[in-house]
Amino acid sequence: MLTIDTLKAYGANVQEGLGRCMNNEAFYLRLVKMAAGDANFGKLDSALAAGDLTGAFEAAHALKGMLGNLALTPVLTPVAEVTEVLRAQTGTDYGPYRERIRAQHQALLELFGN
Amino acid sequence: MPEKHSEFHSINGKRSILIIEDELINREILGYMLQDTYEVLYAEDGARALRILDEQCETLSLVLLDLNLPDMKGLDILQKMKEDRRTALLPVIVLTADQDAEVECLSVGATDFISKPYPKQEIVLARIRRTIELFEDRDLIRWTERDALTGLYNPDFFFRHAAQFDTFHPDTPMDAIVLDINHFHMLNERFGRETGDEVLKLVAGKLLEAVEASGGIVCRRNGDTFLMYCPHRSDYADILKSVCLEMSADNHIRARMGVYSEVSRSVSVERRFDRAKQAADTVRNNYAQAVGIYDNSMLEKELYMEQLLEDFNTAIRENQFTVHYQPKFDIRGSAPVLNSAEALVRWRHPKFGMVSPGVFIPFFEENGMIRELDSYVWREAAKQVSQWKEALGMTIPVSVNVSRIDLNDPSLQKMLEDIVDGAGIDRGDLLLEITESAYTDNSEQITDTIKALREGGFFIEMDDFGTGYSSLNMITALPLDALKLDMQFIRTAFRGRKDTRHIEAVIGLAKALSLPVIAEGVETAEQMFTLKAMGCDVVQGYYFSKPLPADEFEAYVRKLDRESESGAAQAPRLEKNRPRDQFTYDAMHDPLTGLYNHSAFDILFHDADQDHIAVVIATVDGYKALRESKGKACADRVIQRVANVLRGTFRSADHVCRLQEDEFVIILTRITSAMQKQVLGKIDRINQALADAPEGQEPISLSVGVAFSDRSDPGGDVFEDADTALRRMKQMRRTDYAV
Repeated sequence: MLTIDTLKAYGANVQEGLGRCMNNEAFYLRLVKMAAGDANFGKLDSALAAGDLTGAFEAAHALKGMLGNLALTPVLTPVAEVTEVLRAQTGTDYGPYRERIRAQHQALLELFGN
Repeated sequence: MPEKHSEFHSINGKRSILIIEDELINREILGYMLQDTYEVLYAEDGARALRILDEQCETLSLVLLDLNLPDMKGLDILQKMKEDRRTALLPVIVLTADQDAEVECLSVGATDFISKPYPKQEIVLARIRRTIELFEDRDLIRWTERDALTGLYNPDFFFRHAAQFDTFHPDTPMDAIVLDINHFHMLNERFGRETGDEVLKLVAGKLLEAVEASGGIVCRRNGDTFLMYCPHRSDYADILKSVCLEMSADNHIRARMGVYSEVSRSVSVERRFDRAKQAADTVRNNYAQAVGIYDNSMLEKELYMEQLLEDFNTAIRENQFTVHYQPKFDIRGSAPVLNSAEALVRWRHPKFGMVSPGVFIPFFEENGMIRELDSYVWREAAKQVSQWKEALGMTIPVSVNVSRIDLNDPSLQKMLEDIVDGAGIDRGDLLLEITESAYTDNSEQITDTIKALREGGFFIEMDDFGTGYSSLNMITALPLDALKLDMQFIRTAFRGRKDTRHIEAVIGLAKALSLPVIAEGVETAEQMFTLKAMGCDVVQGYYFSKPLPADEFEAYVRKLDRESESGAAQAPRLEKNRPRDQFTYDAMHDPLTGLYNHSAFDILFHDADQDHIAVVIATVDGYKALRESKGKACADRVIQRVANVLRGTFRSADHVCRLQEDEFVIILTRITSAMQKQVLGKIDRINQALADAPEGQEPISLSVGVAFSDRSDPGGDVFEDADTALRRMKQMRRTDYAV
């Protein structure tokens, strides 16, 4: 089950994220859950796989904003990095980014348990 | 706790903010930060954002805008907002994680930025509050600097902007332009205020459109005057034409323009527009030319006026102003009789010589110095009346001008009373001429002041009558002792093809109100006799005498006195013992009917040309019995009916008087017995009119005696003869007339 403690253990900057939610834990956790399920993760991954750099940038840019606001640092870091690389549109190998993002997204999802 | 702002732009007491953001989580976080302080509206895409902006632009205080939306770019929304007048000034804070976009946003008009991830709530709130406050302050300033009706600058800001423009563009040749709409108040009166406002808005729009692109600015001043300050150009006639075309679609409005081209920077901004206004005034009522240009001759005139202004105090101190007196003659009798005089001020300037009062009086009226000059003239005139009283053994009342601006002075009455009392003369010896246009200001205060002056014993003459816009209602309601016809009126009537119908109408109006009429500017015998025939009472002008210095006036009066003894019957004369109160309305009129009373009859009969008059005496048959049986009110109604019929039947040159209760006398002037038939015809018509009684009233008949002065056996008095005829007829129990 997702809690402030599990998020902390995950590496999120909970203090910062909670601060934006006026320290309302329930509100914060609800938004984290929404973020974890956001469709842009799927869009980013498939766009990168297909070489659709524009679509990938839009998805990464959107993710960067919301993950930043929630201060979900472990997944935010690779998303922010790939956003800047995609903005520069250089011929980069996006494979490692996909891997890191996928892994951190997965770790986040696992916090919810079932 | 909600932060405090003033109450406008609010819903439920809160200002409202639109968040345009496609990411739900971001919207939720921002909304959560703001919801206690603001009413928050959300748009997840551009289409919804534009719809909300369109529907709620009036109540929005701020927009928070994300740059990446699914259906359009945030920048496009910003652009659309700037293009729409309603949203152009709404502050926008851009939400962005992208610093590169900031420059572009700035150029399109974003007010501020909030970065992503969002800073702390306190910081977000502080930035939003500051932005809203700045916007609202600017909005307030915008409204105070603008004319609410047209949206143009108000004059204060206009002048400030013009000065600022000069500072930054010292070498750009600039023009100052004034546009006046002709007779705008008439437009308001004819079509209503709303139409007037629409016209003003049209003119404002057209002028702004004409000069804005070249860096010009426009303001509205004093209702219907527009000022423009713009880089030099020469197509003002075209601009004016387009404005007039726009205005005149269906109401024939015209405007005039004054241009002070390539202004001198050494002249203050306000002064530049005074010059443009001067130029505009040169084409007032000029239908051939509607644009006046300020030129050197006007500059010279301006400098000359400035010099006069500068010299005014010295002129008062050194007695450069002198008062001249123009005699006024009562022309109702066979010979004109000196009645009073008008005080007219003259200025002998040490450098310019005689300065025309036509130049300095309107100028001093404009800048308020006329008050000092007027009181100087009042003092001089009062002193003079007193001196003549002693030197000539008679009182010659003097009329003086009271300017409109004097009437606003609460101490006016006290000042006049002090002057008159100090000189030891009667209040009625200083006749107060008040220009007609002062009455048309229609201020209650002015009317009250005039009433109080009259009640205090001063005589009030309405000066320049016929030039203003007096309504009949106003004249009948006003306290007046005489109407004075404007000099220009006389000149125009007698110029070229003589057309005196207007004068006749005005005299007719005065007679209907039982007010004496004074005509000034009478220069020829033809004018004098025509006015006399029309029933004008008093005349003044070069025909008798030009305005004279006090000593020459005194000599003139002495000469009149000598000639009155020996001169021709119709020569101007002096009658020292003439009753003084002849022109007080109340003293000369019967209050019930407004006809002349016994006192007036004595003067009129005495002054009439005894060789060419007829006297008609009429009494109401059965009046005493009627009064006893039906009462006074009914008897009064009968008398009023008779008075109206008599007044409507005889000529304006004839004098209809009520001597006793039911006894009326009519003095018919310039008449011979050859006209007996016409006179008797009139008497028949009078009796027919009175027999035909209105509903609820009894038929009346008159017994009438008539006598002509050129009868076959002259002897005795024409009045007595008429009286004898009447008595004889009554003895014969006839109820018509006897001659």
